[in-house]
Amino acid sequence: MSTKPRLAPAIPGSEADFASLMAQAPNSTALFFELYAEFWQNGVVAEEIKEMTRMRNARITDCGY
Amino acid sequence: MTWIDEVEGATAMERVLAQRPELLARFKAFYRSFWEDGLVSRRVLELCRLRIAAIHDCAQEWGIRDAEVALTQPQMEALRSGDLSNFDPPERAALELAERVPYQHHQLTDEEVVHAEGLLGGPGTVSLLTALAFFDVVCRLRLTLELDEESALLASPPLADGAMV
Repeated sequence: MSTKPRLAPAIPGSEADFASLMAQAPNSTALFFELYAEFWQNGVVAEEIKEMTRMRNARITDCGY
Repeated sequence: MTWIDEVEGATAMERVLAQRPELLARFKAFYRSFWEDGLVSRRVLELCRLRIAAIHDCAQEWGIRDAEVALTQPQMEALRSGDLSNFDPPERAALELAERVPYQHHQLTDEEVVHAEGLLGGPGTVSLLTALAFFDVVCRLRLTLELDEESALLASPPLADGAMV
């Protein structure tokens, strides 16, 4: 699978990666990172279990990122 | 009837996710941003949300409608069947991306993304693709939690006054 970003980063000339590309929609991206931080930093599920399921999900969806 | 204990909340999904109130609050704030940012028209958001609900055969999501978007019965039937031919070019470009997200994400082509970007703009395409991914997430969540079906006409589906349903 390709891991080459299909869209341009928000700042011309900067490297296209997940954060710089998502910054084209800055408000929802900032809120997404707040949500994602809540997943990882709080709750009752051990971080090891979250990481295992994240990696398994990446394999199942064949996500090279 | 969901198999997870519910707590107090306005809607079926909220009654489950409210077990983690901070997570629910952040999820609602994030989800609401697709409608508030205005990078994608709410009609396009509604068409894509319903198409993904149809792909998943998710009656819980399909039963909800945006009160500000009027769709005809033939348009609803087209969304149900996946016949995109009568939607206008920007709508069709967005729906073609929506078609791929649930089960065909590896079949999405550079040409389809470039085509959508030409019609919706870069920020619009980024916002749309993010919204599509989370329309998919919400359907999967509703189905795996076996949430009750709820018919509703909402101001910002699946948000109502900031409440996710």
